[in-house]
Amino acid sequence: MKTFLRILAGLVVVGVIALLAFVFVPVKRSAPTQNLAADWQPEEGQGQYVMYAGDCVACHTAEGGEPLAGGRPIESPMGTIWSTNITPDPKTGIGGWSLDDFRAAMVDGLMPDGTHLYPAMPYENFRFMSEADIRALYDYLMNGVEPVENRVQATQLAFPFNQRWGLRAWNWMALSHEAGFKPLGASEMQDRGQYLVEGAGHCAACHSPRNELMMQDGVTASQKTFLAGGVIDGWEAPALYGPNSTIAGWSVEETANYLATGRNAHSAANGEMALVVEHSLQHLTDADNLAIAAFLKGKDAETTEVAGVMKAMPQPEADAAGEETAAMLTEASPDMPLGPRLYLDNCSGCHFVTGKGAPEIFPELENNPMVVSAEVGPLISVILNGAEVPSTEKRPMKLVMQGYAERLDDAEVAELVNFLRSSWGNDAAAISAEDVAKVRAAQSTH
Amino acid sequence: MLPFPGRLMFNPLAGHLPMTDIPGLPSRRSFLKGSAAGVALSALATSASAEKAEAPVSLEDYKREFLNDAEWAFVMAATARLIPSEGDGPGAIEARVPVFIDRQLAGDYGSAEDWYMEGPHDASASPQLGWQTPLTPAEVYRQAIPAFDAWCSKTHGDVFAGLEASQQDEALTALQNGDVELQPEVRDFFSILLANTKEGYFADPMYGGNHGMQSWVYIGFPGARAAFREWPERHNIRYPLGPVSISGERA
Repeated sequence: MKTFLRILAGLVVVGVIALLAFVFVPVKRSAPTQNLAADWQPEEGQGQYVMYAGDCVACHTAEGGEPLAGGRPIESPMGTIWSTNITPDPKTGIGGWSLDDFRAAMVDGLMPDGTHLYPAMPYENFRFMSEADIRALYDYLMNGVEPVENRVQATQLAFPFNQRWGLRAWNWMALSHEAGFKPLGASEMQDRGQYLVEGAGHCAACHSPRNELMMQDGVTASQKTFLAGGVIDGWEAPALYGPNSTIAGWSVEETANYLATGRNAHSAANGEMALVVEHSLQHLTDADNLAIAAFLKGKDAETTEVAGVMKAMPQPEADAAGEETAAMLTEASPDMPLGPRLYLDNCSGCHFVTGKGAPEIFPELENNPMVVSAEVGPLISVILNGAEVPSTEKRPMKLVMQGYAERLDDAEVAELVNFLRSSWGNDAAAISAEDVAKVRAAQSTH
Repeated sequence: MLPFPGRLMFNPLAGHLPMTDIPGLPSRRSFLKGSAAGVALSALATSASAEKAEAPVSLEDYKREFLNDAEWAFVMAATARLIPSEGDGPGAIEARVPVFIDRQLAGDYGSAEDWYMEGPHDASASPQLGWQTPLTPAEVYRQAIPAFDAWCSKTHGDVFAGLEASQQDEALTALQNGDVELQPEVRDFFSILLANTKEGYFADPMYGGNHGMQSWVYIGFPGARAAFREWPERHNIRYPLGPVSISGERA
């Protein structure tokens, strides 16, 4: 008996030591994936370009705040995470960070003192970035950005999420992939696209599903679930990779157009994606947007320019799936149900009876991922509050859809939504007036 | 390019000028005649999904924003003669035109809020040269109605609202033809009243008139529907849907 107790006590001691070690022994940082000369210098503009590719501004800038000075709230299921100041201010920013500190944050999710960053920072993806790009970005943030003294609100999640050491275990699983990029080798162009998509672009952060532990399920192109579609803040981020992806019907060039300008013959970016286009993708070269599109589509682009020529587009006619709806709307019978009547009264001027919209201007509603998504909030929100396509360098005109909150009541919006979700071959579940009321109430509290 | 398919109709909007001008209008007689000759279109708009317009307060109980009792009585009586209820379509009263006029006079239009009002104003100038009185529209109504009522009392023995319909028509004709002695500042009162009456009849219901979009149903105007891209090529097919208003009412 005594022996047993002694063994038990011993096990407890070992357990406690292991736990203490788990909490307090610093995590080992990943080594650089490339050996660059100590006096290596980035090319002119390289660091800023990496900053654009990584869309750092989107999270690290508060609404109305100085660029990169942090303080933007990132809503997560665990609570609000406040983005940090990444200007080189020594007190409130990253002015005191060494290159090794910076790399550890990008690749391992570690602060200089060894505490863990919350994975709102997509180090799961940034760890694919080349050492050259990481150093170029570090150089830009340190020397190309004005320091801004801005102490941001500290992130305080509720227990147990405030115990950051717990992320060590999370990282064991989430960071099972090694740092560094592994090209599939399909072509130079597609490899470049893969590098941008997997790494700096961190597309998988939204477009890959997340597992029960909120880890990205599919961070590299070799995984089946890579970019198979996810949900971000109530918006569906559609599948982008493989035969069932939303862009399966788009050409490489059309896909690149969407990335560079927020619009193409089929669709218009809004919500989170509009921000990505505005702050990140429009600043990339045509070659890179084409490379991203080429990688996603699995074949190289035939052109070298994006949205280079503006030409009048013919109005698309209804296709087989949409014919029946288009014919019904064209007849404009007073006996039609309320849903299509509301569509004629409010929507058909831009989206037309074909549901095809107008190329480059108004999105298609047939097979539109937002229209048929299981996440109905964004569709309802766009009908109530309208939407806006970002103004980009190549397509400066902002396209705005008005909101109909004043014109349609909840029951009417529900009828309209259910019409949209069941027409032109769309086949998505019906919603109720209560669903609309929830979105309306949520918006009015903003 | 709104379609009125396969239909020749009287268009009361013809010759209509914006409120900021004093319209050179067809005579009142031809207006009334044209109205009577209008094609009956009321059978056209029946919709399974037409909304029941909420019954508004009656004109008697309507809480006025600008007009006093005598002015209200005049506007009710005068608009009822300009677009009478006995014709094929709705009259000014059914369309609640007096409500429209009252609200307009109480608002930016009545106070000429965004007009150039510094003058010079020359009562002998052609109305086509613009507003030729230093008075705002609200002031024109306020000064012209008692003057006209006084003329009616002197000539016909009662204020306008108290006269028989035929006497009212005579009085309005005299007013239109300039046979009623009026101060130069209110000389254009008849054309202003007629313009406002038509505006109240045809404007979107959100402004108080055109109640239930009755005038739109009457002339077959489909209202604020988004578009009709399918229809220009569809010859000799009647456009079947009733109108929709800016705020989304359906009729």
